[in-house]
Amino acid sequence: MSSITSTLLTAAGAMDAYSQALEVVQNNVANASTPDYAAQTQSFNALQFDPTRGYSGGVAAGQIVSSRDEYAEQAVQQQTTLLGQAQQDVNSLTAMQSQFNITGSTGISAAFNSLFSAFSAWGQTPDSAVAQQNVIQQATAVASAFQQTATGLETVAQNTDQQLQSTVAGINQMATQLAGYNQQIMSGDRNDAGLDAQIHSTLDQLSNDGSISATQQPDGTWTVVLNGQTPLVVQNQVYALSTGTGAPGANAANPNAPPHLSLLAADGADITADTTSGQLGSLLNTANNVLPSYLGDSNQPGSLNTLAQAFASNVNNLLTGGYQSSGPPPVAGVPLFTYDTDNPTNVAQTLQVSSTITPAQLAAISPGPPEVSNGVPLALSQLADPTSANDEIGGLSYIQYYASMASNVGTLLDNANSNLQTQQSAVTQAQNVRQQISGVSLDDEAVLLIQFQQAYEASSKLINVLDQLTEDTMNMLPTTT
Amino acid sequence: MDAARGAERLATARSEVHRACELLIASSPEALNNCQEVLERAVNALKEFRSFSQEVPPEPGTRPLALTLKKEVLRARRLIESLAAFYKGWERILGTMSGGYTSNGAPAAVTRQGRLCCRG
Repeated sequence: MSSITSTLLTAAGAMDAYSQALEVVQNNVANASTPDYAAQTQSFNALQFDPTRGYSGGVAAGQIVSSRDEYAEQAVQQQTTLLGQAQQDVNSLTAMQSQFNITGSTGISAAFNSLFSAFSAWGQTPDSAVAQQNVIQQATAVASAFQQTATGLETVAQNTDQQLQSTVAGINQMATQLAGYNQQIMSGDRNDAGLDAQIHSTLDQLSNDGSISATQQPDGTWTVVLNGQTPLVVQNQVYALSTGTGAPGANAANPNAPPHLSLLAADGADITADTTSGQLGSLLNTANNVLPSYLGDSNQPGSLNTLAQAFASNVNNLLTGGYQSSGPPPVAGVPLFTYDTDNPTNVAQTLQVSSTITPAQLAAISPGPPEVSNGVPLALSQLADPTSANDEIGGLSYIQYYASMASNVGTLLDNANSNLQTQQSAVTQAQNVRQQISGVSLDDEAVLLIQFQQAYEASSKLINVLDQLTEDTMNMLPTTT
Repeated sequence: MDAARGAERLATARSEVHRACELLIASSPEALNNCQEVLERAVNALKEFRSFSQEVPPEPGTRPLALTLKKEVLRARRLIESLAAFYKGWERILGTMSGGYTSNGAPAAVTRQGRLCCRG
């Protein structure tokens, strides 16, 4: 009788174990479309079988095992971080590029060309009031073009600041979500596959913003750190990030320059220098490196201000070195442009034609000797195609210098677009790998690795050959159409 | 062979590298095996183009095509590197799991000698 009872109990236990397995399968089917859900399997444990000692054998439900591979998850997150960075680079550079026009139809380039034409026309008729008035008008257009470009770039800088703040707010919000999930785990939901999916979905989103590392602790909770060292989430505790601005140092070359943006950890530590990837890294790089190369910062005037200052001061020097009339006594010329001379990072923004100058005050006479009645406008028109290093910036004419600024943005954007396309492929690749190795056994892994190693080495050599061949091909092709 | 034929060889090389990128994205060892053949075809097409270009100067219009090829090659290199980094990291994990750490703290090498695995 006891044998029948124990047989029935064994059968009932097995039924119970398989019932649990069926529930796991049902859960997998129900969550087939749930983002970041990883299928689970029910493991079984054989029970001891020894009828003489009363062990009737059978099977019992063991642990529920997730098919998720955390190493593959991290690989996807790392690639997603680079994708977030590439996407933000494209967005920022697209906004910057729209501030530059090198077609010559609008903007600084067009204004320069019109002003040089006006100088040339004035040189042909140095006493013409119409020609003098045209010089004033075109000079005003140049100043306006500089102001517009500077204002446009300032707007990009402000938007970058706002984006940084909203990105940080988003990170803190996701960190709060993760802390909530950890709280659920601490309350006993450790094997909840739905919760696991939510956690990994949040981690994927978070990785777009910055380089994060997520580690599951022995108690089942997730610890998340930024840049490998700044804690974001530990158990149910959130370590919120914040933004700030770094004031120029006391010995800064430009103490009145706009400050750099900074990213602060929860303890107030400045982690800007460590944050080089993800959307955060891109925004900080744009705000602290790319934009200052044009608008300046505490250590540099910025190329736009350099151009504005060099051009305006050169024009002013030529005019003030000339005579409005020979006299006697001779009447010296007056400056055409004014700008902020105290802050080298504010030249383009403040550049304007002097409010007190009249067309008749434009000095055309070069004192010489010999005195030349149209010497100044001729010298001014030659700024378009300079022959002296004093009329150049780094060996470039003013128009060429502006073109190099604009083409630099274009090149950066072109590279960023290529990088974005490549990075999208890299994320898809990492996702495919994650899919392929999901639930793979150690033996299978070893086989895959052997296969991969052989294939990788061959492909790698071929790519080296192709790279060199392509480079040689590029060098042999004509550069102009 | 005329100039158009030369440009066609360049386009073939670009197309093959693009195909290699798709295989690398698929990223299975089998796809990587196929990737070798595709890359070999790209190398051959490019060699033919270069050989031809020494006889007939290439048209200026082929430069944009070469630039696109260069970008695709860079993309393929990046995909190979990311895949290599993934599998190398994986190998290190397997090494520590199967052999622990060496005396200098590095992961042990994965031992495969005499290993047999049957796949159904």
